[in-house]
Amino acid sequence: MSRRVLLHVGTPKTGTSYLQDVLFQNRPRLLKQGVSYPADRFDAHFLAALDLMRLRWGGLEGEAVGSWDRLAAQVREHDGTSIISHEILATASRTQVARALASLGHRPGGDTSDGGTEVHLIVSVRDLVRQIPAEWQENVKHRAGFGFGRFLELIQDPDRGHRVGAWFWGVQEIPDILARWGADLPPERVHLVTVPPAGGPPDLLWRRFSEAFDLDRLDLELTTERANPSLGVPESALLRRINRVAARDLPPQHYRPLVRELLAHQTLSKRTKSARLGLPPDQFPWVHALTDSWITELTERGYDVVGDLEDLRGAPAPTRKWVDPDAPPERQVAAAAVDAIRALLLENAKTETENERLRAKLDEARRDLVRARTPRLLRSMEWTVERLEASPPGRKALGAYRAARGRNSRPA
Amino acid sequence: MSGRGRAWGWAAALRGGSTTPWQAWAEDGVGEPFAERLPGAQQLALLRRLNVHAAAAGRTVPAATAARILAAGVSGRGRSDLPIAGVDDERFGPRPVDPDTLPDDELLRVASALIADDVAATAGEPAPERSLIERARAVRRPWVRSFVIVGMQWRADAVRAELVAHGHRPGGRRPTAYLLADDLGTVLAQAWTARSFDQGGVTWRHFLRSFAGAGHLPPRADLARMARSAAHKYGAGNVRVVLDPALLADELGVRAIAGPPHLGAHAVDLVRRVGEPLGLLVANDARPGLLLDTLGVRLAGQGGPAPTVTPRWAGWLSSEAERTRHEIAAAGYPVLGDLDQLLPRPLGTDGVLPVDAEVLSLALGLLLTPVTAPVQEEG
Repeated sequence: MSRRVLLHVGTPKTGTSYLQDVLFQNRPRLLKQGVSYPADRFDAHFLAALDLMRLRWGGLEGEAVGSWDRLAAQVREHDGTSIISHEILATASRTQVARALASLGHRPGGDTSDGGTEVHLIVSVRDLVRQIPAEWQENVKHRAGFGFGRFLELIQDPDRGHRVGAWFWGVQEIPDILARWGADLPPERVHLVTVPPAGGPPDLLWRRFSEAFDLDRLDLELTTERANPSLGVPESALLRRINRVAARDLPPQHYRPLVRELLAHQTLSKRTKSARLGLPPDQFPWVHALTDSWITELTERGYDVVGDLEDLRGAPAPTRKWVDPDAPPERQVAAAAVDAIRALLLENAKTETENERLRAKLDEARRDLVRARTPRLLRSMEWTVERLEASPPGRKALGAYRAARGRNSRPA
Repeated sequence: MSGRGRAWGWAAALRGGSTTPWQAWAEDGVGEPFAERLPGAQQLALLRRLNVHAAAAGRTVPAATAARILAAGVSGRGRSDLPIAGVDDERFGPRPVDPDTLPDDELLRVASALIADDVAATAGEPAPERSLIERARAVRRPWVRSFVIVGMQWRADAVRAELVAHGHRPGGRRPTAYLLADDLGTVLAQAWTARSFDQGGVTWRHFLRSFAGAGHLPPRADLARMARSAAHKYGAGNVRVVLDPALLADELGVRAIAGPPHLGAHAVDLVRRVGEPLGLLVANDARPGLLLDTLGVRLAGQGGPAPTVTPRWAGWLSSEAERTRHEIAAAGYPVLGDLDQLLPRPLGTDGVLPVDAEVLSLALGLLLTPVTAPVQEEG
């Protein structure tokens, strides 16, 4: 029975990809030090989360069948500390949370006296001022064609009737996430890791994660990186336009590598000089008011905070001009589009080269197949003719044979 | 009086078969908690609707079914378990709702997940043993000419299975490829049906919009392309377009070919919805067969008429049908039937679309008599 589980359930856009990459790459080192990160592939916990929450995800869910139960079994089998981390777990319902905790060996109220698992809930959180534009961009990187203005409308619908609003608050409404996941845990076993404001020491967030996960005493290799790079305003606008005209024609297995990976992550995210996405100035008042109510509530609940709840307030409304992604600077969008076309051309050329290589291999394989299927006698006759045609006496002999046979059997 | 106690009282009454709406529930109708958490509004509303459905059929909801519904999750994206209006003053989370005002679509999210559980539970069940007559019928007739069945997937799969059951196995040397075809509206409806069984996914409206908006046919409905593919594989001289199944039956020497079961627009929509959560319970390749053996059988002949193309896309439908007819005529494939049958039939004023209330009604029937149980006559 595992004694302790560190269960990291979100939120998205809080450095989770980096953390998960470090944990995944360091599995053997962690295990030697008594900590299990049970994953046979980098997205194992994502698949487990899809399975737990029965979420469809562009066909990937087919690979997720039964994966939560397998993950939970691995956790239960490990005698020591296990870590589970995926940000979409934030949106799990109370029923799904109860199932997840029970499968990990959790007992009601977190009782560990009878061999129950000591579950620690970890939630990393970032201010809404940065989360709102980041979530819209994440939608755009997942085929969305609606503008930022529409996104802001959807998330402010009090009924959350649209799936976009329901999802956004499901993974971002911190007091509700903690109420769902932490309802049956003592508050001292609920840990909030706050993402520091922009401009602070670059390793501060990692230090906070290390503290929350008790990793700072461990020997880990930190050189790896699986960043989830962000896009600027013109780049996001371009991607949205591409989605509007092409996403419906691109099945998920092609959209992922071509649009999200090649265009968004490998090409457009490199354009770092363009205006960054930000919250419109007129949205700051409600965001700040909501954040205030969250900070008050979280303070009252008495959770362990790694960092500072004040980090959740976010930056004040900037004084510089806000650039609207729904009305972006067209010259910059055009420049981004040229970069995108270049990337696609190069990718296409690479694919063509590979196609040619494979075609040649295929032709060769076909020839080998024909040769293998050709009877031995025919092959020896071909070999004899080839040898005879290679020398003047041979050619003479062959000519005599053909003349005697009475018809021309020379190849055309 | 505690709103929570009243909600527990209502939930307990629903477990006992009550059909009283939440707003009409007595102020003093309090009850004790019977589970760790108060069920969500979607689950409670679904159970009440099932009680109403069962009462109308002169039946009662089994206690185990009621318990399953109250403990169920909400599948797919969208709102999670919703709190009930008047119970607690939650400051965070989704806004509390009156369960009886929830749209049918919300209830279907719970119902689909439960039906998917039932369908998944049938996996691994042995296939019903064939009778001696059925086995005798299925013995291969060596004198039957070589053939393959291609074209409309939903129909072709059924025809193939039917022919095999009569000893006419597809395949053989240089087979004739029979391309099953129909008017394009029917071809599209069956393409959506086949897709719903294969992978769940998009609504009929979205399916139409995504292809009509992009100006091309879905691969499963592109008969001209299928014919070209068959010509490439079997030789152009060996492709025959079938527009009259009776003529195909004559050619193959069988009495008649019945084709696939009829599933109306609402029935296919339910299959589509169940297919989504089922995709997380069974392997992808097992899903279509399971759905066909369970919902395909149980919903046969139900769900209203087949979906039709809405008048908005009439122009696209007509031009694609003309193109298909032209390409098939130009290729010169022999035709069993009249090639003009490829052209669309007159469209109604509104088109037939799945309606959530009708889909929910079918789902309630499947909750009352699950696919895991032997079929019983209602009433």
